[in-house]
Order: sequence, then structure tokens, then C-alpha cells
Amino acid sequence: MPSKEPPRRRVPGPARSRNAAGGSGRPRPAARPDPRRPGRPVARKRRGGSSRSIRLGSPRPRLRLISLCLTLVMLAFVIRLLQVQAVDASTYAAKAEKNRYLEYTIAAERGEITDRSGIALATSVDAHDITADPKLFTPEDSKAPDAPQQAAALLAPILGKDEAELAKKLSTPKSRYTVLARRQTPQVWKQIKDLKSVFAEKAAEDKAKGGPGADVLAGVLQEPTTRRVYPNGDLAAGILGFVNAEGKGGGGLEAQLNKQLQGEDGKIRYAQAGGRPVPTAGSTEIPAVAGADVELTIDRDIQWAAQRAIADQVEKSQADRGYVIVQNTRTGEVLAMANAPGYDPNDLARSNAAGLGNAALQDVYEPGSTSKVMSMAAVLEEGAATPGTHVTVPNRLHRGDRLFRDDIDHPTWYLTLNGVLAKSSNIGTILATGQLGKTQAEANKVLHSYLRKFGIGSTTGLDYPGESPGILAKPQDWSTSQQYTIPFGQGLSLNAMQAASVYSTIANGGVRIEPSLVRGTKGADGRYTASEAPERTRVVSEKTAGTLAKMLESVVDDREGTGTKAHIQGYRVAGKTGTANRVDPVRGIYKGYTASFAGFAPADDPQVTVYCAIQNPTKGSYFGGQICGPIYKKVMEFALKTLQTPPSGSDPARLPVSFKPGE
Amino acid sequence: MTGTAEQMKGRAGRLARLMPSGPSTAARTPFVLLVVLLLAGGLISLLLLNSALNEGSFRLSKLKRETTELTDEQQALQRDVDNYSEPDALERRARELGMVPGGSPAFLDPDGKVRGVPERATAQPSPAAPPEPEASAAGSASPSGSVPPSPSPSPATPSTAPAAPAPTTPTPTSSGR
Repeated sequence: MPSKEPPRRRVPGPARSRNAAGGSGRPRPAARPDPRRPGRPVARKRRGGSSRSIRLGSPRPRLRLISLCLTLVMLAFVIRLLQVQAVDASTYAAKAEKNRYLEYTIAAERGEITDRSGIALATSVDAHDITADPKLFTPEDSKAPDAPQQAAALLAPILGKDEAELAKKLSTPKSRYTVLARRQTPQVWKQIKDLKSVFAEKAAEDKAKGGPGADVLAGVLQEPTTRRVYPNGDLAAGILGFVNAEGKGGGGLEAQLNKQLQGEDGKIRYAQAGGRPVPTAGSTEIPAVAGADVELTIDRDIQWAAQRAIADQVEKSQADRGYVIVQNTRTGEVLAMANAPGYDPNDLARSNAAGLGNAALQDVYEPGSTSKVMSMAAVLEEGAATPGTHVTVPNRLHRGDRLFRDDIDHPTWYLTLNGVLAKSSNIGTILATGQLGKTQAEANKVLHSYLRKFGIGSTTGLDYPGESPGILAKPQDWSTSQQYTIPFGQGLSLNAMQAASVYSTIANGGVRIEPSLVRGTKGADGRYTASEAPERTRVVSEKTAGTLAKMLESVVDDREGTGTKAHIQGYRVAGKTGTANRVDPVRGIYKGYTASFAGFAPADDPQVTVYCAIQNPTKGSYFGGQICGPIYKKVMEFALKTLQTPPSGSDPARLPVSFKPGE
Repeated sequence: MTGTAEQMKGRAGRLARLMPSGPSTAARTPFVLLVVLLLAGGLISLLLLNSALNEGSFRLSKLKRETTELTDEQQALQRDVDNYSEPDALERRARELGMVPGGSPAFLDPDGKVRGVPERATAQPSPAAPPEPEASAAGSASPSGSVPPSPSPSPATPSTAPAAPAPTTPTPTSSGR
């Protein structure tokens, strides 16, 4: 080594000097020959003449250069290797796994909603979205000049769609996807599939014979999906709600119970090679957890009877809408909750968007006379009067800034408190509730506390989406007229369920049970979980409730009562009519009426509460006793038969309605 | 140079002496046979495994298809059953058989005592009712047919609830019945 190094170091020296001496005659080869020339004399000196013939240049610099390059390359490789294998290993492994493993989602089956005896009210079935690839319908691809029209003519009768519309969808230019029909039954797809295979065969034959081989249905495809089916059509539609396009609950109980109903999607993951599973690589499968089945408290038959009755009457009276609620007085379970007009959740496209809710819980209105029973409950419970207390009802009553009157012009009535309720006297009710406190303000406060205890102004406890609590102002905010109208049911508002609950409370001996709609759920494991017991609160004493039940009997039973149309042969029926001035929801002024009837039977051993209300009847009578009474009777008869409730063995109480002045 | 070659030769020679010299004494045939057998066996078992797998996947897809078909059929039949047992359909068929809704219930006690007021059921309870089911009967072949047309003269009634009147609005002084 030492022998080599000096000359190499000396290289630049002589080169420069020579260049400078030799002038510009040979400037080009300066770099190359230079290292040799000084090397040559050195070699000659050192090794003698033996290596003279082979004039090898020194390989070392080249070797070094090459090995340096190789080292650099290898270094790059090593660094990259380290990066791939150690630093970013997980990222690359994940990327590789993505390619190696196939993953499928197993859709969880949505739970059923059944009535109290297990009859399905909402269930899910397999369905197919019929789609198409418009590119395959172009003349080039389909080999037929009018493929979209031909295909549309074939598909229109099967899908029940307009032919021109289908043809237009199929001839969408520059598109590769169009949906022809959503959520068709497997039978529809099977028909199309059969048709497709016939056409494909024909095309193959044609092609074999040398024809163009036109297949006009080749571009019709399908995607599996599921469909929510409501086997009973519009029955209980208001309660059930509906499912949106994504398969999630869009309204009603479907939305409220969506979490329980939808279950959990599962997953299958396996290693694949060329699209086939690798058997030895193992696969992981997380099975889908089917949604829980929900059992409602609804009785399908009673629901049907209620819905039929209210729908008929709403149509006959040309009313805006109507509600019927049937509730078990002992358990608070809602047996039926019917709205009219209803809608068919199987065919939402054709329903009126305004009618999609559950009006029985979402509409609030002024109840009118049906709420007098709460005023009476307060009066009796506070000991301000008894059913026999004499009330002299004048023709007009001046209170605050108004002159109050009853619905019919009458001479001075001499009624008992029982008679005030039976004949539904507003003036009598104002007079009676005036006894609740020493001053009107005190009386207001007492009445307000009872109204609150009966559940007015707070939600029913159903947690139903969109449910309205109604409006009940604080007693100190009651206006001059409100403090006299609230006792007879104007100036406060509630929904139909709250109204029904008031009567159930009285029927249940003064204990209010929160209404319930869901009886229990049956999980994917088949285990049945009953719903939590509803909350019970005592509102009035059992004695007061019993007295009220007897008083309510007079309404239906007494010759002079307003609810005689609700009388059921052999049963003691308690009920109360209501005809309220209705606030027009559009203009916010009083216009039209709300007719209602509420009651329970049998009065001596209450089992069922039925509440009925009709909004804005425009044809025929608008009195609650006249149009809601018969509905009450029809639904109550049906419910009593369905629940096999035997008739009362006893005679009605027949409390006195009036007294002779001077007695 | 020659010295090192000699040395190498010497080392190689020593190494060569360690190796068995002359033709191999072990019989080659069994070994070859073993290798051939192993190869053939492996190939055949691979073939069998593959065909077994394919057969399995054929069976799987066949069973899957059958399951779907049966599910479809079951759901179609269930749909038929639902259509027949729908309350509207039941009522219609009952009326076709000449049945009418009964009135107030009456009970017969075991001792022969009658509770309630028994009466003959007639079609009278609602004179307007008989044409009504007829009207809906036409449509109720499909489950969507039983929606009565909205009788509301003002179809724009919003679902929002009527609010209680503001204290300033005149409150009615008459209601009742």
C-alpha cells in the first residue's frame, strides 16, 4: 500500500504542470492518461520488465467505486427492508390482509312487533331491489336497436310500473346503474329470472346460427335487501310507525324501539385466493344477533274494532280526525289506540305526510266537559261537596269579565252535584269548584294540583316519539276567564291518551297507572323480558273514586243524562260526554267543535276504559253524546266480549239528579 | 506457486480420503421408490382434498339456494295466511256467510242463570255499516286496501296540535253535553 499511495497523490501535480508546459495542444485526454503516465515509470522502476506486456490499470479505484455503489444500493435495500419489516410492518401487514381477506356483513334480522297474543303486526321479509345497467341496453351492447323499449314492455307488467318510465330509466345515457323497482318480493325476481334465462337461451341459439344474438334482458340485475311488512295493513299503523329507506325506524314505535328491534350485524372474514376461500387459513365469523321481538299491549281485534268504528264515524261526520283509546283499567295497558284517517305503512308513498304520526298522542286539544270529572274529583276529595249537595244553576252566571252559560238555554235548574255532572252544566261546575278554596286564587291552586296529579301537562310516560304533554298554565298565570273555564275543560289542552288515563284512574280506585304500550321483549336468545311495572300514584281516595264512578253512571243511565246513547244492555256503564269549542290549528281561533266521550265499564267492577274524540265534525251532530257515544258503545261491547267480562249483577246506583227547591 | 498447489492437493487428498470412495454401497432403488411414492401420494391426497373441497362448496351453494327458496316460499305462504286472517278479511268473509256483529254480550252461568240481556243479533246496529265493508272489500285483497279515503274537506290540516288559547283570545263560555 505505501508503494502505491505516493504516486497517486502525486497525480494531479505533474498533470497540471504538464498541461501548463505542453500548452493547449492536448487538453482532452488530460484526465485519463495522466494517472498512467506517472504510474508507468513507477512500475518500471519497481517491478521490472515482467508486467510490461499487460498494461493493466490499477483496479482498486474502480473496485472501490463499485463497492461503494453496491454498498449504497445494499444500504438502500436494507433501509427499505427495515422500513417494510420493522418500522411500518403493521401498516403493510394490514394492507396485505385487506387483499388477502374477504369480509362480508351479515345483516341482522329486524325483530317482529306483535300484539299481546303474538300475532305479528310488523315483520321483516326478504326482498330484492330490481336494478339495471343501462349500458347493456345500448344498441352496441344488446345488439337490438330498441332494447330499452322491449325490456320495459316485458318488465312493466311484472313490476307493476309504467312502461314509458321504465324505458326512460333503461335508456339513461352514460349510466351503469339504475333502480327499476325497490323491495320486490322474491317471487317477482324469480319471474324476471326465468324470463331472463329464456331470453339468454334464445340469444345463444341465435348466436350459434350466426345471428346477432340480441338479449334484451341481460342488463337486469337485483340486489338482496329486506322489506318491512305490516301484515294487517293500516291496523295500528299510527302506533307502529314505519321504517325508512335505510331500514331504520322512521316513526312511531319503530323509531322508539329501533335499538332493540334492529339487532347487531354480524361479520364473516376468511382468507381468499383467487376469490375462493382458503380452507386451511381459517375464518372468523361473528354471527349476527337478530333484533328482539317486541310484544305490545295492543289487542289486534279490539284495535280493529276501534279503528273501524272511528274511521266510519269520522267519514260520516266529515271530521278532520278522530281517536279511540282502549285501556285496561287494572294494569294501565293500552289495548287499542286508533287514529282516523289512518295510513298504510306498506305503501308510504301514497300516504299523506301530515297523517303519518300518531295523532292520539301528538294532537293536543281542549277536552271540554270530559275534564269536568277532574273538577268533581277535586271537589269531592277536598270535601267541599257531596254528590247530593244542592246546586242552583241559574241561566247565566257572571264571573270575571264574562257571562257564562250552559249549552242549552234553560230556566234555573235545581240540581244535585251529581246532576251537574249528568247534565254537564258549566255554571254548576264553576259554582262547585269555587268552593275549593276561600278565595278564587286558592281554589285555582287546589284545582291545578289535582289536574297535575291526573297527569295533565306532563307526558303520559309512554316515551313515544313526538308525544305532546299538552298545555296547562300555572295557577298564578291563569287569566280571569281561564280560572272559570278550566273547571269545565276549556283553556287547557291534553292529548287523547291523557284523557283516557284520567278515566282509568277513577276506574282503578283513584290510583293512576302510567299507560304502557310495550308488554315485553323477546331477545334473540328466546328469553322473554317483561316490561318494567308502570308507576302507580294515588290521585284521589278510593271512596272518592267510587262515588265518581256512581256519578258517571248517571250520565249514561239517567233519562236526563247526556250520554244515554252509550248504554249497554245488562252492564253498568260509567261515562262522560264532552263537546268542546275547538281551536282551529291553522288560524288559532275558536272554530268548530271537539266531540268526545270517555268512560269505563262495568261501573261496579271496572275493567276497560274507552275514550273517543272526534275533531271538527262538520256534518250531522257535533255533540259528544251523539257521535262519540255510539262509538264508545260499539268499541266497549266488542272489548267486553273479547275480554269475556261478564255483565254486572247489580242495579245501577241511580243517584238523584235534581232536587225540588225549598226541600 | 507450485508449492501452494502441492499443498492444496495434499489437503484435498486428505479431504477426499474422508469421503467414501468407489461406487455407493447403498441400494438406490428403495430410496427412489420412496421419493416417488411420497410425491405421488402427496399429489393424490392434494387432488382428493381439492375435490372434496369443491364438492363441499357445491353442496354448500346448493343448500344455500334451497334455504333461500324455502324461506321465500315460507314467507309467501305466511303472506297468504296473513291476508286470510286479517281482521278486515275475516269480517268480510263472515258477512258473506251471513253473519252479523252481535250486540251486548250475555253470559250463561253454570247453574243456568243468564247474566246480561240476551237478544237476537240483527244486522241493524249500524245501517251504514254493511255497505261499508263491501266498499273496502274490493280493495282488501291487497293489504293496502283498507284505508278509508280521508273525509276531511281541508286536506291541509297540519298534524301539529291545536294550542291552548292565549289568555287574550276570547274563551268560550259555552260548552258541554
